[in-house]
Amino acid sequence: MQDFLTYGIYGTAIFLMLLGVYAVLVKRNLIKIVIGLSILDSGLHLLFVAIGFISGGTAPIFSPMAIESANKMVDPVPQALVLTAIVIGFGVTAVALALVIRLYRHHNTINIDEIKNLKW
Amino acid sequence: MVIADPIYYIVLPLLTAFLLPLFGKLYKPLIGIIPGFVFLFLAYMSVILMIDIRPDNPIITKIAGWTPPFGINLVFSSFSGFIASLISIMGFLIWAYSYKFKKVGFDDSLKYFILLLLVVTGSIGIVLTGDIFNLFVFLEITGISAYALTALYRGRDGAEAAFKFLLIGAFASSMILLAIILLYTQVGTLNMAEISVRMHEVDLKIKVLIFILFFVGFGIEAEMFPLNGWVPDAYSQAPGPIAAVFAGMVAKAGIYALVRIIYLMFDLEGAFHLLLIMGVITMIIAEVVALRQEALRRMLAYSSIGQMGLIMIAFSFNTEQGVFAAIFLMFNHAIIKSLLFLTTSFLVYNTKTKLISDLDGFGKKMPLVSLLFGLGAFAIVGLPPFSGFWSKLYVLIAAANQHMEVIIALILSVSVVEIIYYFKVISRLYFRKASEEIPIQKPSLNSSIVMIVLGLIIISVGVYPDLITGLIENATTSLLNKDLYIEKILPGLAEIIN
Amino acid sequence: MMNSLFLLLFILFGSAILSYIGHRISETLGNIIVVVGAFSASIWFFVGFETPAEFSYKIADFDALWSFSSYSWIFAALVSILSPLALLYSTSYMKGKERLGTFYFNFFLSILGMIGITMSQDFISLFIFWEIMTWSSYLIVIYLGKDVEKVGIKYMIFSAIGAYALLMGIVLINREVGSLLIEDAFAYFPQIQFSTQLLIGILLLIGFSIKSAMMPLHVWAPGAYSNSPMSYTAVFSGALSKMGIYGLGLVFIRLLSSGEFTLINEIFAWAGAITTLMATFYAIIQDDAKKLLAYSSIGQLGYIIVGVAIGTELSIMAAIYLAILHAAFKGNLFMAIGAVEKQTGSTDMTLVTGLIRKMPLTFFSTLVSIIALAAVPPLGGFVGKWMLYQSLLASEHFFLIIVIFTASTAAFLYSFKILYSLFLGQEEPEFKNIKEAPLPMLIPMILLSLFLIVTGTFPGILFEPIANGMKYLGFNDVNWNMSLLVNAWGDEVNLQHVSMYIGTIFIVAFIFISLKNRKRTRYVTTKDISTSGEIPLPHENLSFKLNFYKPFERAISPVMKKTMDSIYDEIGNGLNALFQFIRYIYSGNGQGYALYVIIFFVLLLLLKNQIFGL
Repeated sequence: MQDFLTYGIYGTAIFLMLLGVYAVLVKRNLIKIVIGLSILDSGLHLLFVAIGFISGGTAPIFSPMAIESANKMVDPVPQALVLTAIVIGFGVTAVALALVIRLYRHHNTINIDEIKNLKW
Repeated sequence: MVIADPIYYIVLPLLTAFLLPLFGKLYKPLIGIIPGFVFLFLAYMSVILMIDIRPDNPIITKIAGWTPPFGINLVFSSFSGFIASLISIMGFLIWAYSYKFKKVGFDDSLKYFILLLLVVTGSIGIVLTGDIFNLFVFLEITGISAYALTALYRGRDGAEAAFKFLLIGAFASSMILLAIILLYTQVGTLNMAEISVRMHEVDLKIKVLIFILFFVGFGIEAEMFPLNGWVPDAYSQAPGPIAAVFAGMVAKAGIYALVRIIYLMFDLEGAFHLLLIMGVITMIIAEVVALRQEALRRMLAYSSIGQMGLIMIAFSFNTEQGVFAAIFLMFNHAIIKSLLFLTTSFLVYNTKTKLISDLDGFGKKMPLVSLLFGLGAFAIVGLPPFSGFWSKLYVLIAAANQHMEVIIALILSVSVVEIIYYFKVISRLYFRKASEEIPIQKPSLNSSIVMIVLGLIIISVGVYPDLITGLIENATTSLLNKDLYIEKILPGLAEIIN
Repeated sequence: MMNSLFLLLFILFGSAILSYIGHRISETLGNIIVVVGAFSASIWFFVGFETPAEFSYKIADFDALWSFSSYSWIFAALVSILSPLALLYSTSYMKGKERLGTFYFNFFLSILGMIGITMSQDFISLFIFWEIMTWSSYLIVIYLGKDVEKVGIKYMIFSAIGAYALLMGIVLINREVGSLLIEDAFAYFPQIQFSTQLLIGILLLIGFSIKSAMMPLHVWAPGAYSNSPMSYTAVFSGALSKMGIYGLGLVFIRLLSSGEFTLINEIFAWAGAITTLMATFYAIIQDDAKKLLAYSSIGQLGYIIVGVAIGTELSIMAAIYLAILHAAFKGNLFMAIGAVEKQTGSTDMTLVTGLIRKMPLTFFSTLVSIIALAAVPPLGGFVGKWMLYQSLLASEHFFLIIVIFTASTAAFLYSFKILYSLFLGQEEPEFKNIKEAPLPMLIPMILLSLFLIVTGTFPGILFEPIANGMKYLGFNDVNWNMSLLVNAWGDEVNLQHVSMYIGTIFIVAFIFISLKNRKRTRYVTTKDISTSGEIPLPHENLSFKLNFYKPFERAISPVMKKTMDSIYDEIGNGLNALFQFIRYIYSGNGQGYALYVIIFFVLLLLLKNQIFGL
């Protein structure tokens, strides 16, 4: 059951990443592409959290209760890092959406195929 | 007594960037002046720090008192310090060039200066940090501010360029993040020195996978083919000085990160071969595409990619001479390409299309700017007695000593192509009659001074290369001496682990 | 006390800067600076060097050494004689042109480059000066703004190819020898692996032979020579191309001296001979005097290359001798044509005609140069050719002699054409008010003519420095006398007597013919011809000089059909199309770029076993 959970999390993470990549590469709508990027990020974040997770582990705080089970503590570093990564992902998404708005005003379309003024 | 600590490279511009809107509320011109003081201080601090720095005594700053490997540390070694100083001095020059940028109003200049500060912070951060996740964060700071800077001008296709940049950049950051995650599962640390020590514990297959992820991720910033689709668009649509920022800082930070990864963390022989192959491909494709460009900025952008390819080739030799040549190239490329972009921005200022064919007879209309452009072109194609010649010579010597005759021949053939397209521009500038009246934009005093300073650096390094070779030699030693780096950051750790 | 070598360069560089500034202020001031600077550098070169001067320094960890060897001194002297004359000429020739400051700046820089090349005893400074010479001459080639794209770019491409071949050779020498001093390279070269020796040799030879316009690398030369202002072309063709010869001499005689490279020598000798033949043919069919001279220059350089490549004592001597002479007569010819251009506004040989009575001194100097060029005694060309033929005979290159002799004979045709079309023939009314060229243009021409006459009759004047130079190349006991030369079989040949006898015959014949025909001369104009009933329209070009050598052209047309030029053009077009195609990689589609990233990543994953050797 726990193995299933673990693999499930990893599987979901990889699935999300692939889904994100798919959306970015295949969808022609700018908004969908941005969503794809977001999904890709989510998958990564999930993966990051998952590797720090220990099934049945305790919070990484040295309370009297947890002293005996020190080696069952979940790794706090990925959790800290993933917060940072989420913030960054948020920032990127925000910039991307702002750009989409600008592109829409400039080209009157959000189809990426029609936005090809710069080439060669 | 000057407080000189690498931490200020990060803290000062970051803080200023966030406080700048407040300053703007107080008194509008402050938004231009305050970043100037920050950059001036950073540039000054770089000089102070670089005087004392030797390969065997890097300055290591522990952030918030956490000792490595638990805390984040900044490493100001001869190599990272050299690049950081280069970036901060270029930052100051670019500020000085653009602090009275007239084309935009208050709001846009506020954005411009905030983003400029951020991009400098990010680039210097990438160079100085000793922590792989921290490096990722700085990369993102650089990235996000670069996207925004690309789209700064509303009139152009900046948003399109920025979106492409963002799309590729997001992939890059995802890959780097994934690599960091995998790395962390394998070695359980994020400190680059410790990763380096523990690297041999990692299974070779996973190591290669991680390496490829890093390679692709940083390759995007380092303008490696085929990951460089964003480069010509971003360079041509961003404001003029920002193109110089991209060429002089962002790309340099990218290649720095790539080199750090290859040289410090991974001991893969194949990495150097891969870098060599990609460098050659990047260089050849970029230069031949540059030959067919009609727009000046795009041509310069492709030329910039080509130079990055050459830098990769030089780094891939994994010899002292190769690294020396590569760092020399980085220096030259930062200076010369910045000069080219800065002058170009005046040359094409009033044309809508920004084509090379619009430049007929500008040599007469804008003598100073054209002369400096010509100087930059001469220098970048490696004609003596300008600085570009020496770096090219060192690359060739390094290649020759590696018995890579084919690579030498390729580099030189590509240089011929380079000469053709740069001289086409020069002959248009000077030896064509001005066809129609394109109004000229007189360069302001401050930008003229900046361009002249860059020109003087090019000439003086060209005539007397020993001005700079000492610093580069130290940087080379520092990069190649991986054990020293580890020992300085984590004293005694290598013995404990091995 | 400044080193005298350094001072020489300093004078030249200072003159460059000062003449630029001077010309910004006023043309007269600029011209004064130009002349003073040029002559003082030249005087310093001939007078200032009492003892062999040396200047060694270290630049970027390379040892560098400046000093004149007895061999390079010859070439430096050549530059130092020709360039002040050309600059003096230039002050008048370039009168009223735009941007004179830039022109003279580059002119001085290219002189500095040439002097620098000859004084460099290490490859690094040689290359630096080489490149300075190249780009400054490029800027002059396109100075007039004519055919900038075609001629200028072509010149730059070929120069770059040459320079980079040179550079590659240099870095390989640095690897093998560990030093860039030329002497070290000579000393250690035989110990290098044979294949590397071969590679280095070929690279250096390509680098040097491009500058001396050897086929098939000559295509830049006709355009570049005829497009730059004539005052510069005099130096360009006269002295700058000799830098290639200088280098070829060094490589052939000192570097590839082990005797295992005879094939290369043969190839280059043949290339030189074919260059001569083809360039002569091209020269003959030209209608523009400048173009004609440009091709003729290429042809003459061909002889010199043959001499250098054969590599025997006599052939080298012939080559150097011809190189000096070529500098003098071709410099003189370009100046004379420049004078014609200046006075009449054209150098088209079908338009300009009958100038002998208007510009007698120009005619005189052209005549003298042509005699020297066509190797007619008593002028020096004869002596040079004589030595060359002898050396070829002695080294048993009989087929080469046939080729060269054909070319040499054909050279008469164009020599005659240029002399006849421009100066002889009917006087056109539109050239009625033409005056002789101004004095600053005449003085250099007259001086060069006198130089040609003196050295032609007393070739020994030139043999002394040449024999010194030969010592540097390893030929220690060159037999020469003021007028005596020992040929390859040990017979003494008194060239002076040969020259004098032929000269006397010529003069007697000349006097006889002019006396005999004295009564029969009458002056005619272009219209004074019979037209078989047709009345010529005023704009019709009736000059008989159109299709001057029609039958000859027809005869040689098969060999001229496929020019090297068109081959290069085809290569260029092909490459351009390819590059254009590569350009489409950057499709402009953001998603496409993202796809590239993924594809690249997947490719790396697939190929990781190959790359990382898993």
